[in-house]
Amino acid sequence: MEIIRNFPCLSILLAMFSAIISSALKGKGARRLNTFVVSAVGALSACTLYLTYTTGESYVYVMGHFPAPFGNEIRFGSLEAGMALFFCVIMLFSLNGGRDKIRLEIDPGKENLYYIMVDLLLSSLLVLVYTNDLFTAYVFVEINTIAACGLIMIMESGRAIEAATRYMIMSLLGSGLFLIGLCMLYDMTGHLLMSYIQASVRDIAAEGLYVIPLLVTIALIVVGLAIKSALFPFHAWLPDAYGYSTVSSAAMLSSLVSKGYIFLLIKIIYRVIGFDIFVQSRIINVLFVFGLAGMIMGSTSAIRENDIRRMISYSSVAQIGYIYMGFGLGSSVGMVASVFHILSHAATKSLLFVSGVGLTDVADDNKQFIELTGAAYRNVCAGLAFTVGSLSMVGIPLFSGFISKLLFSQAAVQSQMKMLPALIVLAISTILNTIYFMKTVIRIYTPIRSKYASVSIKENPLYAFTLLCFIVLNIVLGMCSQPITDWITQGLSVFA
Amino acid sequence: MEHMLLLSVFFPILAGIVLLLKKEYQTRDRLLVFVGAALVITGALACYAIFAVKDGVTLFYLTKTLPIYFKLDLMGRYFSLIVTIVWILAGFFSFTYMKHERNEKRYFGFYLIVFGVLLGLDFAGNLITMYLFYELMTLLSMPLVLHTQTRESIMAGLRYLFFSFAGAYMALAGVYFICRFGTTIEFTAGGVIEAAVLQENRTLFLIVTMLMLIGFGVKAGMFPLHAWLPTAHPVAPGPASAVLSGIIVKAGVLALVRVVYQLIGVEFLRGSWVQTVWMTLTLVTIFMGSLLAFREPVLKKRLAYSTVSQLSYILFGLSVMQPEAMTGALLHVSAHAFIKVALFLCAAAMIYQTGCTRVEELKGIGKGMPVMLWCYTIVSLGLIGIPPTSGFISKWSLAVGSLASNIPVFSWLGPVVLLVSALLTAGYLLPLTMQGFFPGEEYDASRFAGKEPSYGMLIPLLAFAALTVLIGLVPNGLTNQLFTFAAQVMQSI
Repeated sequence: MEIIRNFPCLSILLAMFSAIISSALKGKGARRLNTFVVSAVGALSACTLYLTYTTGESYVYVMGHFPAPFGNEIRFGSLEAGMALFFCVIMLFSLNGGRDKIRLEIDPGKENLYYIMVDLLLSSLLVLVYTNDLFTAYVFVEINTIAACGLIMIMESGRAIEAATRYMIMSLLGSGLFLIGLCMLYDMTGHLLMSYIQASVRDIAAEGLYVIPLLVTIALIVVGLAIKSALFPFHAWLPDAYGYSTVSSAAMLSSLVSKGYIFLLIKIIYRVIGFDIFVQSRIINVLFVFGLAGMIMGSTSAIRENDIRRMISYSSVAQIGYIYMGFGLGSSVGMVASVFHILSHAATKSLLFVSGVGLTDVADDNKQFIELTGAAYRNVCAGLAFTVGSLSMVGIPLFSGFISKLLFSQAAVQSQMKMLPALIVLAISTILNTIYFMKTVIRIYTPIRSKYASVSIKENPLYAFTLLCFIVLNIVLGMCSQPITDWITQGLSVFA
Repeated sequence: MEHMLLLSVFFPILAGIVLLLKKEYQTRDRLLVFVGAALVITGALACYAIFAVKDGVTLFYLTKTLPIYFKLDLMGRYFSLIVTIVWILAGFFSFTYMKHERNEKRYFGFYLIVFGVLLGLDFAGNLITMYLFYELMTLLSMPLVLHTQTRESIMAGLRYLFFSFAGAYMALAGVYFICRFGTTIEFTAGGVIEAAVLQENRTLFLIVTMLMLIGFGVKAGMFPLHAWLPTAHPVAPGPASAVLSGIIVKAGVLALVRVVYQLIGVEFLRGSWVQTVWMTLTLVTIFMGSLLAFREPVLKKRLAYSTVSQLSYILFGLSVMQPEAMTGALLHVSAHAFIKVALFLCAAAMIYQTGCTRVEELKGIGKGMPVMLWCYTIVSLGLIGIPPTSGFISKWSLAVGSLASNIPVFSWLGPVVLLVSALLTAGYLLPLTMQGFFPGEEYDASRFAGKEPSYGMLIPLLAFAALTVLIGLVPNGLTNQLFTFAAQVMQSI
């Protein structure tokens, strides 16, 4: 049991070293190493989850020789471990689902670079999940950004480079704001370790000092991370970045990168600022309003979109809106709903991206809807998977999306003020979701005598198997949600 | 024992999935044997479940407080019996009819799946299970609407989907509130929310109830969200339109019975503005539906408009919140189910045999298809409400209940609208009979000669006509049962 405590640190190091080793490997070797590392980290995280969930405690792991409050720490409870496991699973599925595309779309000489980026992304995600040190978090936010840019750019097409540049600029703006917030916080408290900052922040708040600087700090940090996770109205970079990159990148960007920042934000809310102080600040209402606006605007943009990849991307904006709306409710139930939605959205959105590429493949890579008519008959498993993803997004019972909506609304009815707006927007957004997802599903199931060839499952068993895994994951989230919400609740309770 | 509930829900679903996944059959007969066997076995299972199973069964827990739970009460038994009868008879009708459609395997696959889903909906013992099967029903009945896959049917299907989802999400808002404030989500006579809680949040709950009424009312074609029905039902293949219009719309009725009488509680709603609005909406729908049907020249569309109107008879009976009227409404559920299915099947038989869709083209059809037209006439009389048919009994109870309710204005306005609408019903149904049998001396009806449908089509029609008359002749057993139920949920025994 003792040895499991080393696993989080070990998994971070594993991911980082594999990135370094990959630079000396050819594409194939890098790919194998990456698959191994992601699986290994997943297994390690599963062990950690087992330990933390059974004991119900969180552990601190000291990095290096300096003890707190000066040194660097890792801290993990069941929420962190479970999140790490989940990220690994999604990453593995997303990479497997887009494996062929990576081979086709990336210059063979640069394939190992792609896997280096993926390894770095994994390590930075793990750090964001596990670290207890705010500055370390910042450093890895930057590493994450650079890795993500690499993932977008690797296609080397004009649009991909433009998208990556845009992403870079917006992301750096976000990290800049985050850094300023961090500096101010350091200035006020004198600490970088999260738990110590929180103690100081509590004192400051109790004495009534630094009222405005504290508010500004919270605002800067929240806005910085909101830009990076594409909360409306800071989402302008998103559709291009997701729409023109290779499919594995798009799936990972939408379900892992943005979720990593959101997880960091949750951590800051709980562990750095303190949940009650965060709730008292008016920032929370701003988040609520932006979340609601995102839910509607994301969906309306998606309805207007005529390109399936960009449509799915815009739908992400709406879903991120849901998560921030949950934050904005300012209750722990709302937080549980948001965390559940992180899982549910990650599982669904990567499924949609991966199955979407199967559909565009049988239309000669045309992403326009008109060309996709009848695509579900030409690629049966992709069509089926896309339908499952759509049903989940629309919120049909038995799929994960329904449970998130249920949790959000249960959280919403507990709040007097925010109940009606939340429920109304939830209903409108659901109907908007229905419009564009069902439109697509009907389109791909409309039979047509097509000029494009069909693909059978046998031609690409790995792809079909990945889709099957995604579907199972979605249904498990939808049907066995109780243990998962129990785990989230327990994790959040030892989180602060 | 209680696992029979699960078995009768999941057997047809599995059979349907197997059928969809299977390779195309070598001969049509093998497909029909498979479907026929599946239908009969499901029918037997369902009948056993309906008459013999007393206990409930939990399938699994969606979350800790939300079990997927099946339990049959009288309402469930009644609705599922109707579903079973209609589904099997219309299924046998399809065996002949579907000869002239393509993609039979897919049609029958979804037909079986929807059968299971409907049984699940009727067997549902709590709100969340009902909602689950309600959504599944919407989705899985889509392929029936889309079957011909013409542009018209796709547009109609989309319309169906949007209206249904819009309605379902309005209703879902109510589901959240009931889950939050209710002591349980199991259907309980008189409601699940404590009176004190209801009074405390009176306005809120009234709004929520209104939302649920409109939301579930979509499926029952209630004004203002009825526009999908007359486009979606006629585009499906004949037997599918029949079950869509006769059975699937009843899901909305069942949901409303559950919500109003077994979740919110009728005590709370009686006399509130919600009741007034609901009654107004239903009366508007009754009148408007009949009028639109009267003006519609295409037979299947005419029948669809008639569904809009007739469904609101049922909803009106429910909205009066009086035991006698509710009994009438519930009787009208079975009356309308059998009659409307029979009418649509008649229309299907006419299309199948002659290819004519408009009423004026069918002049003189009685010369060639007398048995079929007689069935049509008998069930039409039932829908108008002429004794001795089931429609008479139900409308009688509706009118009596409405008059006894003592609600100002509505207690007499209701029966008046019912009467006017009955006249309109006669006006849009009977011309076909009259012109069919008496096209006039010089009219040449020879093109219909020898077009009488085969027994595969006639037997289900005859069975529905017989049921209509039979319920009209010996209604007492059923009426008493339903009245007891109505009195019990209104707690005025």
